[in-house]
Amino acid sequence: MAATLKGVLQGSLADNVKNSKILVVGAGGIGCEVLKDLVLTGFKTIEVIDLDTIDVSNLNRQFLFRKEHVKKSKSQVARESVLKFNPDVDIKAYHDSVMSPDYDVNFFKQFTLVLNALDNRAARNHVNRMCLAADIPLVESGTAGYLGQVTVIKKGLTECYECQPKPPQKTFPGCTIRNTPSEPIHCVVWAKHLFNQLFGEDDPDQDVSPDTEDPELTAEAGQSALQSEAKTDEIGGIERKSTRVWAMNTGYDPEKLFNKLFRDDIKYLLSMETLWKKRRPPQPLNMTQLPSDTDGNSSAIRDQRQWSVKECANVFSDCLGQLKKELATQGDGGMLVWDKDDETALDFVASVANIRAHIFGIAMKTRFDIKSMAGNIIPAIATTNAIIAGLIIMEAIKILSGKIKSCKTVYLNRVPNDRNRLLVPCTLDPPNPKCYVCAPKPEVTVVVNCTRFKVGALQDKVLKSYLGMVAPDVEIDDGKGTIIISSEEGETEENNDKFLSDFGIRNGTRLKCDDFLQVYSLVVTIAHVEKLEEEKEFEVVGDLSELQPQEEQQQAANGSKPHNGGDKADEKEEEDDLMLIEEEEFEEEQQRMEEETRTTRKRKASSETEPTTKRSKTAEAQAAAGDNDVIEIS
Amino acid sequence: MAETKGSGLDKNNKYDRQLRLWGDHGQSALEAARVCLINATATGTEILKNVILPGIGSFTIVDGHKVRGEDVGNNFFLLADSIGKSRAQVATELLGELNDDVTGNFVEESVETLLESNPDYFSTFSVVVAINLHEKALLQLGGVLWEKNIPLLVCRCYGFIGYLRLAVREHTIVESHPDSALEDLRLDRPFPGLQTFCDSLNMETMTKKEHGHTPWLVLLYKYVQEWKKTHDGQIPKNYKEKNMLKEMIRKGIRQNEEGVPELEENFDEAVTHVNSALVTTRIPSEVQALFDDPCCTNINSESKTFWILCRALHDFVHNEGNGDLPLRGTIPDMTSDSERYIQLQNVYREQAATDMTAIRNRVHALLQSLGRDEPVFVDPKVSHSSPCGAVSDNEIKTFCRNAAFLRLVRCRSLAEEYGTNTVNKDELNMHLESEEGDDLLFYILLRGVDRFYDEYNRYPGRDNSDVEPDIPKLKTCLTKLLHDWGLSGTVKEDYIHEMCRYGASEVHSIASYMGGVVAQEVIKILTTQFVPINNTYVYNGFLQTSTTVQL
Repeated sequence: MAATLKGVLQGSLADNVKNSKILVVGAGGIGCEVLKDLVLTGFKTIEVIDLDTIDVSNLNRQFLFRKEHVKKSKSQVARESVLKFNPDVDIKAYHDSVMSPDYDVNFFKQFTLVLNALDNRAARNHVNRMCLAADIPLVESGTAGYLGQVTVIKKGLTECYECQPKPPQKTFPGCTIRNTPSEPIHCVVWAKHLFNQLFGEDDPDQDVSPDTEDPELTAEAGQSALQSEAKTDEIGGIERKSTRVWAMNTGYDPEKLFNKLFRDDIKYLLSMETLWKKRRPPQPLNMTQLPSDTDGNSSAIRDQRQWSVKECANVFSDCLGQLKKELATQGDGGMLVWDKDDETALDFVASVANIRAHIFGIAMKTRFDIKSMAGNIIPAIATTNAIIAGLIIMEAIKILSGKIKSCKTVYLNRVPNDRNRLLVPCTLDPPNPKCYVCAPKPEVTVVVNCTRFKVGALQDKVLKSYLGMVAPDVEIDDGKGTIIISSEEGETEENNDKFLSDFGIRNGTRLKCDDFLQVYSLVVTIAHVEKLEEEKEFEVVGDLSELQPQEEQQQAANGSKPHNGGDKADEKEEEDDLMLIEEEEFEEEQQRMEEETRTTRKRKASSETEPTTKRSKTAEAQAAAGDNDVIEIS
Repeated sequence: MAETKGSGLDKNNKYDRQLRLWGDHGQSALEAARVCLINATATGTEILKNVILPGIGSFTIVDGHKVRGEDVGNNFFLLADSIGKSRAQVATELLGELNDDVTGNFVEESVETLLESNPDYFSTFSVVVAINLHEKALLQLGGVLWEKNIPLLVCRCYGFIGYLRLAVREHTIVESHPDSALEDLRLDRPFPGLQTFCDSLNMETMTKKEHGHTPWLVLLYKYVQEWKKTHDGQIPKNYKEKNMLKEMIRKGIRQNEEGVPELEENFDEAVTHVNSALVTTRIPSEVQALFDDPCCTNINSESKTFWILCRALHDFVHNEGNGDLPLRGTIPDMTSDSERYIQLQNVYREQAATDMTAIRNRVHALLQSLGRDEPVFVDPKVSHSSPCGAVSDNEIKTFCRNAAFLRLVRCRSLAEEYGTNTVNKDELNMHLESEEGDDLLFYILLRGVDRFYDEYNRYPGRDNSDVEPDIPKLKTCLTKLLHDWGLSGTVKEDYIHEMCRYGASEVHSIASYMGGVVAQEVIKILTTQFVPINNTYVYNGFLQTSTTVQL
């Protein structure tokens, strides 16, 4: 096997390849290609882990899967398919989350190399930390449409995945979603929230009813809304009950639901008059008096034709019936999970989003477009994955030949750039000494209002969601070692509803946060403020100096860079639109990526190859973000 | 509605992720395509895999080889027990499993034999991909396909080097999907509908709410009109003038009773868009070149639809269009009440529809004058390269919407590239003399190893023991080659050594990479969307660099 490689893989390299043990994280678009490439390059011992099962929409590129494999485990089917063609390799498959405690630092230590083929940031953060802890080289990668990227991460030698801060997930203020939508995406988000309120997991952050705490409402207007609340209560008797309970009590009656959501709630919103002084007021709809159906182009396929309001109402009705049945099959306390590839779930969101858009005078969208928005779909094709997988293997080969220093971050362009380059290789950057993950003593500052921020939110929103910990332990550095969060189940649950200030946490308090699984310790310094801008609950900054960005810029302008002050190449660094690329559809992660396509970061050009090149954002991300900025390619 | 075929799967679901890149019409073009692969090497099957998955109509493998042990080692679509069997057949069977909606065929014959016995054989394909052909067969095949204007992609993976060459006489692209296109707003030359609409709005008499919700496009129109009054009817041209215009706009923001400016987002937007929206409407040079092309000026009954459309477009520009292309008819999102936004949108849409109708009438008149207006049945399988009769309204609409982005690719032929008198000497010399390592050196080296093959009937360094002794031999071949080209430079020894070390092996990761790159070009060509590489692409796997160049 692979006999022809003898000459190409020089000296001990062929043996290194044969004797190495590789972990592939993810068996999706890139994962399938990587597994094939590994086996045909002479790798003999491979383990692959993926939590996912196979979906029909994977088949246009994930070539190890066939239609008969739909709903089966990706990692296991991938293993079987590869073995069918190449029986003499040793492949172990895990149908599991790589973030599970079963895969601890000792698990990672058994591998020569880890190759990421992931589609979400949470898992990327986690594998990054595990590889740092185990000191195993990691090849990180991603694709989006025609674009792709590969890079190499090695502890102490290169930037880690988290060295450059990534912007937080793009969210919309609750009151925009609930009271004053102005863009189609607001209606889509509301429709998904409604799905969860009616059939899915109850999340208080996903309330769909009018929000009387809208900061735009002056005290006076709030009063008038409160007064009219009594009236609404009379109409529906529903405002004080949860949407779910009320809907169930009506038996998911389409007309009752429609009239509550699209007539009564809208009327209630109209009573908050301040909101509509400078906005077009919404127009309530009655299910029995919908605008007549005048649609002429019914010949177009259903997915790409704009539905009329009446059609939306019919789809809404049908979906309620079907989803109600589906929910019933789940038994008591069961729930449905919204999935963009579930026809009914998508129909529901498409119809609801369009009805709401119509009410607020927002452009309605086709089901095809709504699928993109609601499912955060990133286009994905076989060709890009094949290209990126080839690049991954080339970097892996360099690492195994002991040439990790000549590894590159490689960006794949959609078309050759002005210098006729389809690929843009860049030298790897050294670690960021201030990185809150790979620095020797990681520290970070969290800005909150200690009297209003709860311990539970610190755990879920800051430490887990934002800072990527899986099971944090938190101790106050107060000399007494007060533990406010424990990863042991049941030990500190009662703290979750208490405010930080209840534990004496105030401006300047230091919290020692540990994640045992990730072998990761982080000191969090609390900065107390009364109010954060844009209704944010918290903000994470590298250190306090970042709170005064202007000062920092001035310092830089004064040329106070310690080492590279005179280095021409360094001065020539340009602001660069970095695209972080994730593979395939990313569920909730994608909005973050859109943000990331907009972040700028500095990238050093490889001396023998390219000067720093500005990348354009992906057209897809641009469209999805509704961002019209024209990025010039230098 | 859901369409199902061989696989029984809903195609909208199966192909969802790619429909978002090339649309339904791009998908239909793929599904009508017939792709031919010559030689099912690792690179060949990788390319086919990447076009079978997204659902081409059919593929045919032409390969006279039997499966050998080394094929199985680097080719995913050959099995150990297929050794000794027809490579074309085994690969066809295994690749066929990838997608039930794609038909697979094979011919167990070498391309040389086929060209001898039935040179017309290749004329039924939409595109031909040739792997590892020797010069003589390559040039012969290239000649046949060039004659029929069938695109040929030549590909090769040699050690850590990947090579691709596109040879197509003429490839026209309506949807080139430019990376960043400015909106077509015509603020410098407003059309009557836009004038009427904007002039009907009186900023002075508006309520506060209306004032703050007048679309920025209207604001910009109004301030430009005002500007023109004092500037000889010219729009602001340079940075300074644009800044002055911005200042004018800012002054238009309403003030409250205390004289403090109101927050009017639409005015802010107008200021931000001065630079990008206030551009001179002109015919892009690429489109002008199309107008000047003999294919456009001399249309005849054999002309491709694209050229007839171009001619109609040209005639429109010089008549109804008053020097401009048809209006694209879309406007960006902006702060506005929905009523006026929709009105404004309709103003643009209606003008675009009027322009489109004018062009449609011209297309039909042209077709009639050529005796082609009768709807002729067109076999969709060959439609993209053959003249056709009827032109659908959808086609005309897409053409109008993309009028500013039309592109034409005419490659140099392989015969020109290989001809001693027509070789692109200057380009090659430039790369030969470049100080730093250059990807194009590997092109020269690939031509060198072919010379070597002609002389010794094997590639250099096939066995490890041959590597050292083959270096001077390859060097001699290169010297001869460069001499034939009339070039005096030399290729550095370490490159020659590297090339010998490769021993013509096909490394799978390079095959995977090139499989992606070549398949992507095939898809661009079949969908006639996006601009393909013109004409040579070289990838250096070890440095992760690549270059495109016209040879």
